[in-house]
Formats: sequence, C-alpha cells, structure tokens
Amino acid sequence: MPIEILLFKLLLCGIIFVVSLGVAAYATWGERKFAAVLQDRVGPSRAGPFGLLQPIADGVKMFMKEEMLPNKSNKFLFILGPSLFMLTACMVSTVIPWGGDLTLGGVTYNLQITDINIGILYMFGVVSLGIYGIMIGGWASNNKYSLLGALRASSQMISYEIAMGLSIIALVMMTGTLSLREIVEQQNAGVSYVVYQPLGFLIFLICAFAETNRAPFDLAECETELVGGYHTEYSSMKLGLFLFAEYINMFISSAVMVSLYFGGYNFPFQTEIAEALGLSANGLTIIQTLIFFGKIVGFILFFMWVRWTLPRFRYDQLMSLGWKVLLPLALVNIFITGIVMWALGLIGNN
Amino acid sequence: MKELILISLLGIFVLALDVLQLRKLTLPAIVLGLLGLMACCALDWNRNEQPFLEYGGMLLFDNTSLAFTFVFSFLALLWFLITRDQFATDAKRSDLYALTLFSLCGAVIMASYSSLVTLFLGIEILSIPLYVLAASDKRSVRSNEAGFKYFFLGSLASAILLFGIALVYGATGSFDLATIAAAGQSNSSLISIGCLMMLAGFAFKISAAPFHMWAPDVYQGSPTVYTAFMSTVVKGAAFAGMFKLFAIAFNDFTESHRSVFVAMIVLTLLWANVVGMRQTNIKRLLAYSGISHAGFMLAFVMLGASSDPKWLIYYVLTYSIASMIAFVIVNYVESYHLGMEDQDGFKGLVKKNPTLAIAMTLSLLSMAGLPPLSGFMGKYIIIGQCMRADLIGLTIIMILTSVVAMFYYLRIIMLMFTPLENAGRIIPEKGQMWIIGIGSVLIIALFFGASIFEIIQW
Amino acid sequence: MLTEYAFWFLTFVAIFSAMGMILSKNPVYSVLSLIVTFFAIAGHYFLLNAQFLAAVHIIVYAGAIMVLFLYVIMMLNLNKVDEEKRSIWSKAAAAASFGILLLVVSAAIGHGHAQSELQSVADTSAIGTTETLGLSLYKEFLIPFEISSVLFLAAMVGAVYLSKKEQYN
Repeated sequence: MPIEILLFKLLLCGIIFVVSLGVAAYATWGERKFAAVLQDRVGPSRAGPFGLLQPIADGVKMFMKEEMLPNKSNKFLFILGPSLFMLTACMVSTVIPWGGDLTLGGVTYNLQITDINIGILYMFGVVSLGIYGIMIGGWASNNKYSLLGALRASSQMISYEIAMGLSIIALVMMTGTLSLREIVEQQNAGVSYVVYQPLGFLIFLICAFAETNRAPFDLAECETELVGGYHTEYSSMKLGLFLFAEYINMFISSAVMVSLYFGGYNFPFQTEIAEALGLSANGLTIIQTLIFFGKIVGFILFFMWVRWTLPRFRYDQLMSLGWKVLLPLALVNIFITGIVMWALGLIGNN
Repeated sequence: MKELILISLLGIFVLALDVLQLRKLTLPAIVLGLLGLMACCALDWNRNEQPFLEYGGMLLFDNTSLAFTFVFSFLALLWFLITRDQFATDAKRSDLYALTLFSLCGAVIMASYSSLVTLFLGIEILSIPLYVLAASDKRSVRSNEAGFKYFFLGSLASAILLFGIALVYGATGSFDLATIAAAGQSNSSLISIGCLMMLAGFAFKISAAPFHMWAPDVYQGSPTVYTAFMSTVVKGAAFAGMFKLFAIAFNDFTESHRSVFVAMIVLTLLWANVVGMRQTNIKRLLAYSGISHAGFMLAFVMLGASSDPKWLIYYVLTYSIASMIAFVIVNYVESYHLGMEDQDGFKGLVKKNPTLAIAMTLSLLSMAGLPPLSGFMGKYIIIGQCMRADLIGLTIIMILTSVVAMFYYLRIIMLMFTPLENAGRIIPEKGQMWIIGIGSVLIIALFFGASIFEIIQW
Repeated sequence: MLTEYAFWFLTFVAIFSAMGMILSKNPVYSVLSLIVTFFAIAGHYFLLNAQFLAAVHIIVYAGAIMVLFLYVIMMLNLNKVDEEKRSIWSKAAAAASFGILLLVVSAAIGHGHAQSELQSVADTSAIGTTETLGLSLYKEFLIPFEISSVLFLAAMVGAVYLSKKEQYN
C-alpha cells in the first residue's frame, strides 16, 4: 500500500472519529430540542444561540465532575466496561463507505477506511461484542440494579441480533456480496434496496432500535424499575462514555441502514445532475458524501421522533416481539426472496 | 439414504403431532415408522447402494449398515412397546419420544457413515439427546447427577475424538474413510496418534476400561427406561461405528496396535467382573455386566478384517435383547417398591410375579452365557475366533471372567427364587407382559439365530 | 514477514490468554481471557485467508456463546474461590496424563513434520472466502450440513425440555 494512501486512511480514521463524536454531541442537543418541540417547550437556549453550545457545556461538565469508584466494585472491569462500549461503538464505522473516490494529484483515494469483503459480518461481530461493555460494566458495579440492567440489555441485544442477521440474509441473497461498498455501488442506478426488501428493512429498523437500546426498547435503563440501569453507579466521564456511545451507535446504525437500504451516498439522477451542473468527479463525491450525511440525519431524527412518541415496551412484550414476530417474519422474508429470485431465474443456474 | 430421512422425519413428525394436540397418535405413528424403517432396510438389502458421490460420498448404506440399522430399529421398536405404560400419563412424552428418535437417528448415522465428518455428527446426535434423557427425571438428584456426569465426560470424549479426527485429517488431507484406508496407517506417527485418540473417544462411548467410570453412575442415576435404551441401542451404535472405523478403514492400525486392544479388553473384563461381584444395586450390577460385554464386543473390533461384521451384529442383538428385558424388569420391580432398586427388591420375585422372575432369569442366564440361550452363542463365536487368531491368553481370561460373572448373575437368580415369609404385594400382570414373553422367546430362539445368516445368504 | 510476526504475536496471545483462563481464580476473568483467546484464533483464521470463518468465529463464540457463559456466571454470582478443593493427587494425575498427551502429540507432529508428510496446500488465497466456503458447504458437505440440523433440533428440544417448569402435583 503506497504511503500516501496509508496516510490518507489514517487521516480518514481521525476525521470519522471526530465527526462521530461531533454528530453524537449534537445529537444530544438535537434530541433535547426535538423533545422540546414535541412537548411544546423551548429546550436548551442559554448556552450560545439556540443553545448550540450546550453539548460543549455538557462535555465540560462531564469531565469536571468528581470521579467516583464504588467501594466494592472491581476497579479494572469497572473502567474496562465503558471503554469497551465506546470502542465497539466506533469500530463499525471502518467498513462504512462514506463516499465515492477522490482523485488528488493523480492518486485515487477511497472514502472508506477499509473495504473488507466480509463487511457485513464484521459489522455483526463488532455489534455482538458491544454487549460485553454493558455486561462487564453492569456486573463490575456490584449493584443489583446495574446487573439486572446489564442482563436485560444483553439478552435484548442477543435476541434481536438473530432477527437482524436473518433480515440481512435476504438482502445478501440479492446482492451476492458481503462488502458494504459493493452493496452501495449496486444501488447507484437509482433504485434502492428498500424497494425490493421492504419487509427486511422494517425488521432491520426495529432491530436497530433494540440493538441501540433506544426507546421504545430502552428497558435496560428503565428508571421506574431499575434506577438508572447498567450505568447506575457510573459518574463523570465514564458515564459520559456510556451515554456518548449510545448516540454514536445511533449514528452508525443510521449510516448502516442508509448504506444497505437507501442507496448510501447515491442519490437519484446523480449522473444527470452532475452533467447538468458540470461537476467534476471530486465535486460529485463531495456532494454524495453530504447527501449521505443528510440521509443519516434524517434517520437520527426518526430515531428521536420515535423516542418521544412511543411509550416503552414491557419486557415480555419485547421478547415476544423479537422471538415470535420478527424472527418468523425474517424467515418468511428469506423464503419469499428465494422464491421470487428462483421464479425470475436469478438463482439455480449453477 | 431413505432410512436416515425416514427416521429424522419421524422425530420431527412426533413433535408436530404434539403441536397439533394429537398425542394419542404418537405411539402408533412411531411403531409404523419403525416398521417402515425395517421394511426399507429389507428392501435395500443386497442392493449395494453407492455413496452419493455428487455430495462427497458421506454416507454409505451397504449390507452391514443395513443390518445394523435393522437391528437398531427392531430394538427401538421393542423399547417403545415395552415402555408404553411408563409414558402413558406423561404429558411431555412427545419431547422424550422425539429425543429418543433423534438418538436413534444418530445410531443410523453411526452405522452408515463413510466420512469422519458424518462420524462425528453421528456420535453427537447419538449422545446429545441422551444427556437430556439421562437427566430427564428433573426431581431426582441422581438423575441430575447422571445427566451432568454423562454430559461432561461425554463432551470430553467427543473433544478427544475430534482431536483425533483433526490429526488424521492433517496427515491425510481427507475425511473420506476409503481415502484414509488407502493411505495406510502404520507408516505415519500422526495418523497413529490420531487413531489412538479416536480409540479413546470411542472407548468412552462403549464404556470400555479405562474409560468406563461413568457407566455405573449414569446407568444407576438415569431413569431406568433410558438406561435400557443406553445399554442396548446406544452401545450397539457405538460398536457399529467402531467396527467400521477400526476393523475396516483403519485395519492397518488395528493390526499393528493389537496389543493396545488386548490390554483394553483384558482390563475391561477383569475390572467389570471383579468390581461387579461386589455390587448390591441391581442397576449398577447390570452396568458392570454391560461393561464386561463391551469387552467381548471389543474383541470383534480387535480382530479387524479377519472377523465378519455379522457376528458382531449377532452379538449386539442377543446382548441387547437380554439387557433390555433385564432393565425393563428392574423398572417394573422398582416402580412397585417405591423406587427401591437395591437387589432386595428382587427377593422372592417368583412369588410376586412368576412371569417376571422367569424372564429375568432367562435374560440374566443369557448374559452369563449359559448354553441353550443365545448369549452363549455370541460368546462361543468370539472365543472361537480369538482362539483361531492365536490369542490363547486372552481366551483364557475371557472364559475365566465369564465364570466369575456367573456368580453375580446367579446371586440375583437365587434371590428371586428365595421363598419369602410374607410375600408382600403381588406385582400385577400388565398388558405388555407379552412383549417380555416374546423377548424371552427370542433369547432362546436366537440360539439358533446364526442360521438366519444362511437363510438371507449373507 | 509481517505475517510471520503477526502469527507469533497471535500465538503468544492465544496461549497466554488460554492459560489465564485456566489459572485465574475469578470466573469472570476466565471468561474474558477465553474471549481474548477466541480473538487470537480468529486472527489466525485471517492469516489463513479464511475471513468468513474468522468473522463467524467472533460472532458465534465471542458474541453469543461467551455472553451466555457470562450470564450464568453473573447470575450465579460465582465470585472468587468458590470451587471445591481437590486433592493434590488428582491434580497431579490430571497434569501428568495431559502432559503425556501433549508430549506424545507434539512428538508425533514433530516426527511427522520431519518425514514431510504434511502436504502444504499450494494456493490458500481462495480457500476461506465466503464463496468457496458456501459452495463446498452446499455441495460437497451438503449431507453433513443437513444432518447437523437434526443435531441442533435435538439439542433445542432437549434444552426446552430441561428448562420447562416441572408440574408438581
């Protein structure tokens, strides 16, 4: 690998990390504003215009707070928990194609950190590891509520991972590849996979809510039953990491959904528009990346809308939805996809 | 191939019947299915079905496999009929029946594999339902203990077997039995170690010394009906697999490592019979009897290519019928003595229920190997074959330990015929007493069973 | 060259975390060490060009099975030394027997290597890709694949049976 590409990738890593943090920080602001709109309030308004400096104030507050370690907790694991959670939250972003190719000085740079040919599996592997951060943190707190919250969160994530994986299998049957970049490229003709896989997308969307522990599936931190859930004992920046990682998760899962089902950085009539405006290839790539972020913001807003609209599920409802509704539906979806593909002669030839 | 499909579908069908609330049809469906399985085996006889080469040739139903499959389905049929009352009131019998059928499916695979992959899958399908069945009496501590012991040691044995498979694969680059057999096993240390580890894994499954420690505990703790299943179908299946592996595919290895086999057999026979003498719990005693029979059957495997699989099948059949009848009678007797499985429960059985006493006597004497019974024939054949192979020392030990074994079988028989002061409760005759009768008749009739092979021209 | 360094590093991590799994007194640490071992082994799969296996290894073992292990340990609250003390003899016997096994296996492998009977596969680049694996799974290994469905069904029925509430009447 040439040195300039290596440097570019390192730079890209840094940029994506910063962008993730920025998006997560402003998602907290957005969340509060959104809630305020829905509840007919003003929301954060003191720090800066429209309260735009609020996330920075929050961050400073988190850092300045006193560091507390429960007396009887397991110190090492107590610190490992939030760190792991944050790490796994950031790791998925490496396989997401953030845009097309950039050509600078004769060298083509790809706006994706790494295009491994098992991108989707990598994503699942990392997501399934995210459970450990919660479990270790919850257990190391040496607190019953934390442990219960951690168990809830992890059993919920394991249960929904199955339906999520099965919903993607139907998609993979159509794409014939596990690389996220190729899946996005296949959608550049203007038709997104959501058109072919509406049921699969719906299942994936519901599972994404459950995987990110967002309302209406935020049972892990159900205040009325579990005090604060798995992060009851956490304070200062360690709590900050947990909260932050959740927003990063939301951001990343929105990005994944956009890439898989909504064309990623593609947008309708992109070649025509680029021709009409006389855009260079680099210009198109930049516009595509902006469009991609626009779609992601749309999904984040949807996440917030759902959170402030729907009440929280009961735990048994959550489990029966996952196992008795989504899992069979995902199987049916695979079956239908297979039948249709077979009827159209797309498979069964070799 | 259709045998395997039939038996798997039968297991799933039983579960489906439970879902459809048609539990009354479960047993008739199973009986029909097993009869169909036996019919399939009979139809495929001598057809020499080729392995499915387009699918890698993982299974091969030759005459030996078919005969084993036939024997297993017959034994399973006997088991289902004989234990009918036990399950008549059990609301969850469909689960247990399905698990038993899946285990039988594993037994069929063990008889018909032709690749190490299917061998491993077969042995797991055979074992995993049994771990559950051993622990299926959830209220009994002993049953839980049996399940756990069986599970932990069984997993270890599977792991060792898998390690052996991995080494053999590493040395030959193939899972296919024919390829490995063609490569020869005596010239490579890696294959030898792999074979030895597979031997250890199998020795656990057939409960041969020094890997037999689990057997008495598990046999004693498990619900007796499943002990009956374990000591017959499962042990037979393990031997079917073992014979195919060591006597046919790894013949080289077996020939060159005969001393290992001989040592195992001698150790098994001595240990089982000496320790068996001191047992007062009838299930433990029968477990030790099973271990000693494993020693005899291991001799068939040891003789390798020079022994004919039909005699092993014959031995498995005769031993299994006797053993199944013995365990089922133990089950009867203990259910009328409030779970007392000590040998005292058998005191004066002849007064309480003469049919049971006579059937038990027949099966015990058959296991001991007394002449007009089929068990004698099996032992006679294997001892004769060992003589022909110039294994005089082994032959002497076989005969001596048989005599020792006679002691503890006779002790139970004596107990049953001891007159009792107050005869206690009479054990009523039950509807399926006739099955025990048929079984007993078979024990006698199979003495001449060797001529069956003449009739079917094998 | 880089691959070789990676190999030794992963091997080192795998062996030491496996030892940590056995030696640590706290079961939670054992589980965590085992997860690290799984990662190291997944790394080995990557080096062998078996990306699919590596990913599935992580998803299945580290992501699902070990989480269930952690569940059990956390629910039972098996803190520090709850295990039974075993006699020195049984420990010595176990150590001796498995030590002999290790010795014999390593000797056999070394011996076998000297005879150069371990054929090296010429082209490993395509062995572990998803396509090759899928094709061999659904063609050559179709029968074992189908058979394992029976195995899973049996295990599932068994698990459900054992965990169903017993009706006491």
